[in-house]
Amino acid sequence: MEGALDETLESVAAGAAVLRVYRQVFAVLAREAGAMIGDAESIEVDEAILEAFAEAGSEGLTIAQAVAACPRFEAREVERRFGVLRDYGALSKVVERSNELYYRAAFAPYVMLLFLRRIAAQGGQSELHQLLTLEDLGVRSPTATLEDGRASAVRLTKVFRLIANELAILAARSSVETLRENAQLLWGNRSLVPQGEEVHEFVLGRWPQLHRECAALRIAVAAYGDAIERAAGRLAVQAGTTRALGMLPVETWRTFADESDAASLAAVLDGFLFDAPSAWFTPQLLAEAVESARVVAPTRLSPPRPEADPPQPEEAVVAVDDAQELRAIAERLLGDRTQITVAELLDRAGDWASGRRVLAEVTAIHQHADLQFEVVWGDRLRVSADAPVSFVSLGVLRRTDPAGAR
Amino acid sequence: MDETALWWARVRAAGPTKVQPGSRAPRGMARLIEPDASAVWLLPELPEGARPDVLDELGLPAPISDRPNETARVLAVCVRCCWADPAGPLWPGAPAPLEHAAAVFRAITLREDELSDSALTGAVRRLAASGWLLWHPATRTIRLGPRTALWNPLQLSTLRELWRSLPDPQALTVSDSPPDAQ
Repeated sequence: MEGALDETLESVAAGAAVLRVYRQVFAVLAREAGAMIGDAESIEVDEAILEAFAEAGSEGLTIAQAVAACPRFEAREVERRFGVLRDYGALSKVVERSNELYYRAAFAPYVMLLFLRRIAAQGGQSELHQLLTLEDLGVRSPTATLEDGRASAVRLTKVFRLIANELAILAARSSVETLRENAQLLWGNRSLVPQGEEVHEFVLGRWPQLHRECAALRIAVAAYGDAIERAAGRLAVQAGTTRALGMLPVETWRTFADESDAASLAAVLDGFLFDAPSAWFTPQLLAEAVESARVVAPTRLSPPRPEADPPQPEEAVVAVDDAQELRAIAERLLGDRTQITVAELLDRAGDWASGRRVLAEVTAIHQHADLQFEVVWGDRLRVSADAPVSFVSLGVLRRTDPAGAR
Repeated sequence: MDETALWWARVRAAGPTKVQPGSRAPRGMARLIEPDASAVWLLPELPEGARPDVLDELGLPAPISDRPNETARVLAVCVRCCWADPAGPLWPGAPAPLEHAAAVFRAITLREDELSDSALTGAVRRLAASGWLLWHPATRTIRLGPRTALWNPLQLSTLRELWRSLPDPQALTVSDSPPDAQ
């Protein structure tokens, strides 16, 4: 029981000590009536007071001396801040007794003030990095205990969650200008993610019992990574397909293009060197091009007639001997007479087979231009039932007189 | 920096360059003297395997130039107009007025409208930019450019045949009627 009480008391005492330092630090950030830091000047007053205490030496300062040491500010203002600092324990009496005039200052608030000033000026990336490095060193030191590890993990989880939340809210809801202004949170701190993952791995490896805290840390680190991606994606969409280039808005580029002269626009290409245009021509190419020009010109093609073929095949087909044979046949058929009817020729021929040959010869004789024979056909028919050809047109084969008219 | 390398870079970036007659030629470059000896052209002489026609042999796409056939025809026409004596060398060639080239161009393409004139002008500008022609817009005369001097004698014989097959610009421009080439 007493051990438990001691433990509790010790832990309470430790907690109280931490609380005291915290209260000293947050004295300057206290948001209470009359003690609020509403503007930068209050911080400057606090800084001036603490600097005066630094100058003072080991004796300490009274209120009046402190007021005198800060000539830049009004006496009432200095006294008011003095009172605030005293209430929060940043300034305490040298010796705890009533009517003590001399005060001394704790160093922690001033250090914190410096730290806060630096963060306010530079956006806090380097502080975050330093914080992460410190945590890393802390968990790796051989004297670190389980509690140290857990505390480290919890702190880092809170840090990453805070950053991720802020970035995610900016990426989702804010205007692009706000996002662009706060882009420092993105670009500078991308390297925090692997650092956070390293700490997580180390803590998990060293104290496996802390798996729940490490899980929370892992999720917080991943959330920060996601928030970076989303914000960067939103900024990239705004900037178009260009390569960042300061993420200028579109209208800036358009204004530049509209209002610049040719010289400043051409200055973009100053660092580049291009090859001169060099088309390649050989005389072969020239000849081909001129040939293709000639072919393209005639728009109508001649029809594909075999004009190259001379009438020689026709001559080979026409047999010169035909005329002689036909003349011999005609003489034979006519005999001494000048004319003979086709009916008589057919009767003489006998059956139809030779009759039709006779008819063919007679027609050929008639058609042949060189022979002076012709066949003249009439209108009537000779009809005889028992002849080999029943119906025969009235036709006469006769010689033509070369001098006479046909 | 090496002087030769600097000159090669200059010629590559700006095309065939004109220099003073007294200067030294960098290695690997041909010097062509202007007819009045006022300036000297520096041309890179690429070795056999490094010229753009290797791309054709390898079957790779050639560096694309705008309207290659039309530009080639205009270059052939300009060679016809500016090469006074086909038995002699090609460079420097005589200056010829643009009307001669226009007449021959209309004759070989058998197309007589303002499109052919603007096509001719465009091709002349393109050739002048690449160094194949020298174009003087003030006097509207064309001359053969320095790159034509690098054709070897084998190619020149092809060129002579081409020269003979194209109509005579003097004859075309003397007759005022539309040219009947063939």
